Amino acid sequence: MLRITGGKVYDPKNGVRGEIRDVCIAGGKIVSDVPPHARTIDASGMIVFPGGVDVHTHVAGAALNFARGLIPEQHRKSRPIFHTPQCRAGLAGSTPTTFATGYVYAGMGWTTANEAAVPILSAKHTHEELADTPIIDKCCCVLMANNEIILDLLETAEFERAKQVAAWQVWAAKAYGVKAVNPGGVAGWKWGKDCKGLNEPVPGYKNVTPRSIIKALADIIDQLALPHPLHIHCNNLGAPGNYTTTLETMKALEGNRAHMAHLQYHSYGGDDWFTMKSASVPIAEYFNAHPNLTCDAGAVLFGDTVTITADGPWQHLLYELTGRKWGNLDVENETGCGVVPYVYKEKNLVNAIQWAVGLELLLLITDPWRVCLTTDHPNGATFWRYPEIVRLLMDREFRKEQLKHIPEKVLSRIVLPDLDREYTLSEIAIITSAGPARTLGLAQKGHLGIGADADVAVFNERKDAMEMFSYPRFVIKSGQLIIEEGELRNSIEGSQFASKPTYDSAIEDYLRPLFSQHYTMSFENYPVTEECVHGLNVHQCGSCTQPG
Amino acid sequence: MSCTLGEVKNRADFIIYWGGNPAECHPRHFTRYTLTQKGKFLPRGRKDRTMVLVDIRETMSAKAADIFLQVRPGKDFEMLTILRALVKNQKVRAEAAAETGLTLEQLQDLVNRMKAAKFGVLFFGMGLSMTRGKHMNSAAALTLAAELNAFTKFVAMPMRGHGNVTGADVVMRYTLSYPFGINMSRGYPRFNPGEYSTVDLLVRGDTDATIVIGADPGATMPKPAIEHLKRTPTIVLDPKVTHTSKLSRVHFTTAATGISAPGTAYRMDEVPLPLRPALKSPYLTDEEVLKRIITALQKKPAWQPAVKGGEQIA
Ligand SMILES: [Zn+2]
Repeated sequence: MLRITGGKVYDPKNGVRGEIRDVCIAGGKIVSDVPPHARTIDASGMIVFPGGVDVHTHVAGAALNFARGLIPEQHRKSRPIFHTPQCRAGLAGSTPTTFATGYVYAGMGWTTANEAAVPILSAKHTHEELADTPIIDKCCCVLMANNEIILDLLETAEFERAKQVAAWQVWAAKAYGVKAVNPGGVAGWKWGKDCKGLNEPVPGYKNVTPRSIIKALADIIDQLALPHPLHIHCNNLGAPGNYTTTLETMKALEGNRAHMAHLQYHSYGGDDWFTMKSASVPIAEYFNAHPNLTCDAGAVLFGDTVTITADGPWQHLLYELTGRKWGNLDVENETGCGVVPYVYKEKNLVNAIQWAVGLELLLLITDPWRVCLTTDHPNGATFWRYPEIVRLLMDREFRKEQLKHIPEKVLSRIVLPDLDREYTLSEIAIITSAGPARTLGLAQKGHLGIGADADVAVFNERKDAMEMFSYPRFVIKSGQLIIEEGELRNSIEGSQFASKPTYDSAIEDYLRPLFSQHYTMSFENYPVTEECVHGLNVHQCGSCTQPG
Repeated sequence: MSCTLGEVKNRADFIIYWGGNPAECHPRHFTRYTLTQKGKFLPRGRKDRTMVLVDIRETMSAKAADIFLQVRPGKDFEMLTILRALVKNQKVRAEAAAETGLTLEQLQDLVNRMKAAKFGVLFFGMGLSMTRGKHMNSAAALTLAAELNAFTKFVAMPMRGHGNVTGADVVMRYTLSYPFGINMSRGYPRFNPGEYSTVDLLVRGDTDATIVIGADPGATMPKPAIEHLKRTPTIVLDPKVTHTSKLSRVHFTTAATGISAPGTAYRMDEVPLPLRPALKSPYLTDEEVLKRIITALQKKPAWQPAVKGGEQIA
């Protein structure tokens, strides 16, 4: 039992904006009161936040692990995590090891993370990594927009069966949500092609277009009543002028719920790399007017990183642009992935625009509940650099200072210099915790109301937001004190959320023969079993009657 | 520039094996994944595929190949470099080509076929990655495949050894960042193959004790390494008594993973497969033996000064 007293509490979901009040914890939950003998933490001069929730990150899985193997020279410069009685050894850096991932997230007050891209074929592996990621709670999104069993069904207009297959796949992967990456484009990439617009047929198909995939998946997810809407990475990622594709995608999603992933990478104007400019204004305008949508920023910070995405064709383009290392890993019938080490440079025109666009979207989107703070870790920057973005959002003078470092000719192609908005602490609590929890449909996360999971971060109140949010004084996860006086004192296991939509088990009879034809693994070995998932916490969707 | 084996099964109309002898070393490779299988986009199976074998000698695998190219020993890197030049339409002198043991026409024909393929795959074996040039050869093979993607879809994949080598590699990477050759003596992982690899440590006599799990260095490693294993305490965990067991101080017979112990095996393409034991074993699993050793060790005082937990993290 624990009482945190004297701190300024920020709990936007419950309308608490910096009031000094007590937060009481018992049995891993927030409670109304605890007896006098409960331990008390004096949080005078500190701010109290619900634990951070990351709506889109890449912290586990075959693609990330492939990346780890590709960049030993970056690991050498990474921050070591020493083996201690509380900690397993590891390295932080741009692709933190599993144990390091848990320690570093918790070490900055973030307690839940959504791994955004899981192929079913290697989902077992993803779950092995997540099981070795301590402290934080986890969930993941399964990749579906290039799954050939689904696409083949859409080709022959068998929507109902596609829905059954999708529901079966979500549970087979022990996923929480569904992600669409470059719909149709990754399937096309398997023939070395891509999908640029929404209306051209996907290579290898006559009737299936990116638009039809997007619409079908959004309908399927809404009908299955998954807690998190379709998580979509639009076609044409990273390309100048791609904002029109993004607008079209958002229009195609009218009438559905959807989460637009790493919107920064999809908000560029211009015709080519030389004329590229920010298109955050038209994107934000449309987005502001459409409350069916949420998004995350996918902001970029300057420095070394490695880019990893299921978007194979984009990665090939990046490789051709940089001439650096390139790794590509296509997954049979399901998806692809690419890995390219990358440095975002202040003096590079394209990189400077990307940096500005991420911040612009965060500042132009008026409803903080619908935009989450992310860097698409590790693509735009590593997640442990989030406090730098918080400072940029809260301090316009600091932003002006930073604008002096980028090439002057960039200034006419961005709108960042004109934006005076400064985030309040309440708004920071929304974009880092309350908002992403709501977007994910995790009702017990992102707030400090009675009955919520007791995930709490306590920071010294300081003027420099970056310093404030980099080093919490106390972090509590599931009611356990993890960080005390800025030190990691305790490591616990986190749980994992999965969704179980309703499906007719007869769908397995349909899948089995297809499987032996197209896959190289036996059907029985394909689904992830419940025992494989540590701390499994199942969300039964909609009117499900099947036993859990 | 890689993919899972199902992609090869469904799509690869052009397959190169370089420096490997799958017919004898990976017998199921042809039938399960690559050559004879009918694929989603290759309905006629073997008839829809072309197979090229590059090797220094005519092995059993050459019989299965449509084209066999015998490269002169130690000239793999040169051959790869010439192929890369030809892919980019650069001029190559016939004499340079001849040094590889092949004619310029043969190499140009190979390049034409690679470019004309719809989906090409290059499997490279120990004959390429473990001979003269080692890392350079593998890098050149991967680069060749990457560069071919300007023309068509092309992937490359190493043919890894037996057992669950891939699994060890995968787990090392996600827990410690590196696949092998890791030194933990400072309390965090450091990587330097050639310095910290098992064989180098043993040959130099750097280790005080050795635990061997599911491997038999006593049968395969150079003599100085074996001598060091004999000289220092060596502990073996293995379902059977190996050469190493015979020179060890302690041998634990453990349950055989996949036969009488559950687990996960990783295929060479890093796809995980659950192992479901058909039999029960009277012996403990490797995991259980190691856990008991760790528990016993924890009762001993630490040899290193304790580092404060929170200091290292952000
Ligand atoms: Zn992502």
